[in-house]
Amino acid sequence: MSDAIVWVLLSIGVAAQLSGVLGILVARSVFDRLHLTGPASIFGPSCLALAVVIDEGPFSQAGLKSLLVALLLLTLSPVLVHATARAAYVREHGRLERLSHATEEPRP
Amino acid sequence: MTAYFAAATALLAGLAPLIVFSVRASPADGLVALNLGGTIATLVLLLLAEATQRQPFFDLAVVSAVLSFAGGLAYARFLERWL
Repeated sequence: MSDAIVWVLLSIGVAAQLSGVLGILVARSVFDRLHLTGPASIFGPSCLALAVVIDEGPFSQAGLKSLLVALLLLTLSPVLVHATARAAYVREHGRLERLSHATEEPRP
Repeated sequence: MTAYFAAATALLAGLAPLIVFSVRASPADGLVALNLGGTIATLVLLLLAEATQRQPFFDLAVVSAVLSFAGGLAYARFLERWL
């Protein structure tokens, strides 16, 4: 039974990563690409780490370290996405502007 | 253990298009591919450590997770200011 669960979790994790790769290849802009890598940085690490935890137990060395890896990836990748999006925006527009008022003219 | 080897192989195969893409694309697009490549490389290390049942190899995955974040952040700052 647990073997089947591990297989399913590994399949979901790998599929999430490969869909992220596919998203990068087919998207048209930097922001679309960042958006499409979202599932890869959420479902991939959590499913793969969960598979290891089911095999090895949550309090073994392998289980704890894979949980740590998943936690690191889950917390750090949003920061990285934010920094990348900010860099791409600054490169496109020259500087970072505050989008404060709804009455402002919409950006073309 | 076969499942882990198979998953690691599939992920490694996914890394190849990212390398080609980051060579050919613009710097910002390449940075996105680099970020995803870092995540995939970390997970490959995790899966290989579990597949070979070597406990110390899990440390590689932990270090790779932190360092790929630091590397991506450094690239992002450089792209924003100087490149």
